[in-house]
Amino acid sequence: MFLFGFKRLLQGVVTVWFIATATFFAMHNVPGDPLLNERAGSEAIKANLESKYGLDQPLSTQYFIYLRNLSRGDFGISFTQENREVNDIIREHFPVSAILGILAIVFAATGGVLFGALTALYRNRLPDYIIMILVILGISVPSFVIAAMSQLMLVGINNMAGSTILPVAGWGTILHMLVPALVLGLGTMAYLTRLMRSSMLEIIGSDYIRTAKSKGVPPPRIFAKHQLRNAILPVVTVLGPSIAAITTGGFVVELVFAIPGLGRYFVQAVQQLDYTVIMGTTVFYGAFLVFMVILVDILYGFIDPRVRLEK
Amino acid sequence: MRGQKKSRIGSKLLEVRNLEVEFDTYGGIVKAVRGVDFSVDSGKTLAIVGESGCGKSVTVQSMMGLIPMPPGRITSGSALLRGQEVLGDTIIEGKEIRGAEIGMIFQDPMTSLNPTMTIGNQIAEPLQIHRGYSYRQAFNEAINLLDMSKIPEAAKRAKQYPFEFSGGMLQRAMIAMAISCKPSILVADEPTTALDVTIQAQILDLMRDLQSQTGMAIILITHDLGVVARMADEVAVMYAGKIIEHGTVEDVFYRSAHPYTLGLRAAMPTNDPANQHQLNPIEGSPPDLFSPPPGCGYCARCPWAMSICHKSHPEDYYLNSGHYSRCWLHHNDSKIKPNQLSFSEEVRG
Repeated sequence: MFLFGFKRLLQGVVTVWFIATATFFAMHNVPGDPLLNERAGSEAIKANLESKYGLDQPLSTQYFIYLRNLSRGDFGISFTQENREVNDIIREHFPVSAILGILAIVFAATGGVLFGALTALYRNRLPDYIIMILVILGISVPSFVIAAMSQLMLVGINNMAGSTILPVAGWGTILHMLVPALVLGLGTMAYLTRLMRSSMLEIIGSDYIRTAKSKGVPPPRIFAKHQLRNAILPVVTVLGPSIAAITTGGFVVELVFAIPGLGRYFVQAVQQLDYTVIMGTTVFYGAFLVFMVILVDILYGFIDPRVRLEK
Repeated sequence: MRGQKKSRIGSKLLEVRNLEVEFDTYGGIVKAVRGVDFSVDSGKTLAIVGESGCGKSVTVQSMMGLIPMPPGRITSGSALLRGQEVLGDTIIEGKEIRGAEIGMIFQDPMTSLNPTMTIGNQIAEPLQIHRGYSYRQAFNEAINLLDMSKIPEAAKRAKQYPFEFSGGMLQRAMIAMAISCKPSILVADEPTTALDVTIQAQILDLMRDLQSQTGMAIILITHDLGVVARMADEVAVMYAGKIIEHGTVEDVFYRSAHPYTLGLRAAMPTNDPANQHQLNPIEGSPPDLFSPPPGCGYCARCPWAMSICHKSHPEDYYLNSGHYSRCWLHHNDSKIKPNQLSFSEEVRG
């Protein structure tokens, strides 16, 4: 198990290096120059940047400087915001995105597993039909539509109640987080519901469930001890990429609900060609996702004994 | 006729009478079991034989409440365990039928055990449910049961998962699980079909040993006549959802009274060098159970079929108190008797 974790970690480091390299060369092939842009900062910033990054030097030298800085955890200084380190931006705004993302994943995973199991147990009956219609809606309606509509609904609820039950936008308390997290997790929840349903249907018809029935195991115990753990395996597999989709896809929801997350800076940086911020946030997101996928892999080992013993 | 038979059988451990099961499918209603009667005594083994799709498994699974309903449906019949009805009921006399009164093992041990649960926990589960054992007690008993099933290093093996076991070992573990609550009947649904021949013999020996230790009855479903000869006291031959011949293993093997049984025997290889003969397959395939024939299900493949065979189904003809055959050839008006025929000559002729 320890060896397995170590191996995955090593693979993760290589993956992050690959992401960093791809980002670096992609950025240098983007047309335009942030220092000539009219939105770029003063002469002072320009001079500082040129000396710090050696922008007049050959690409290979720049690449090694970039890698050296990266290995020290230094993402550099923003091109557009004077004296603002990329690390500061990440440190300040990433926790917000992370909390929102984790909450969304918790919603998505618990909702997906529960609704998926429910639809499978009530296959071709009313609860199945209702949930599956909602699932199709959840998958096909884009998140900005759902975000705006849920805001509208919140306004309506608050008006009816006469006081603010749930804030419409902003950040600060747990109440601010609930609705955005739900909206953010909805698409993934719908996807996981479908996945869980099909996996659960397969398990229900399997030989070992028949064995459990022949032993006289009562249905609730069959569900908890035999069906759930086996049916959840494919859901856990896609949980890694799902975390990716949710944390990086959060900027739309962050924008609509006015949440000071990292996603907004990421989009802003792309619009302003802020090289260091783009590269820094991309590499950071990449590393975060790789780490999450490794975590999911290790978690998978705990659920499925067959993976655990693989050397 | 039925009343007569009941009195002959007397009071048995398990008596199944006139069981009928059908399934709704997109193609229509499949009448999988069309009136099956049999009984088993404690300490005895009943073998149910027949080719694939003739209703063997459905018969026992409907007794255990294992057929999915819908689409399955038990349309008539009864199964009395010590005189108590078990069809549609899962508890009799405060005891659960499944697991506690009837234990069951299946054809493919590789897929019949939960892959994410240790063997020991799976064996311990019925003890916790039916006997109210604590987890510790049940797990220790599971180790004893594995030991009884001749699995070496039982304590270590109990902590392992199914993927760490071989097929034969898994079937032993399945048996340990099925007998954990000392059931009065062990139902074995083709228990050796998925195993290789040397392992088959070991599993059958194990089942027989356990039977002599516990006095349980065994209902053995198989299409392997070699397994029947080795294990069974009584044999019920099924065809197209009906039992067409029933009797002691000697009666059915040496005094076969139904053309289908004769056909099965002619299709069976022998290792007796003095008695080498060519294997004679039974031509054709079983009838479509969407619309079962009004007469005998076998008449389309039977070399002795008469006109009445196509029209109405034969009664039970008793050759002795426990041996009956459902074949018109036994009727007084029939000119030929199946027990006077040499099967291969007739087919060749």
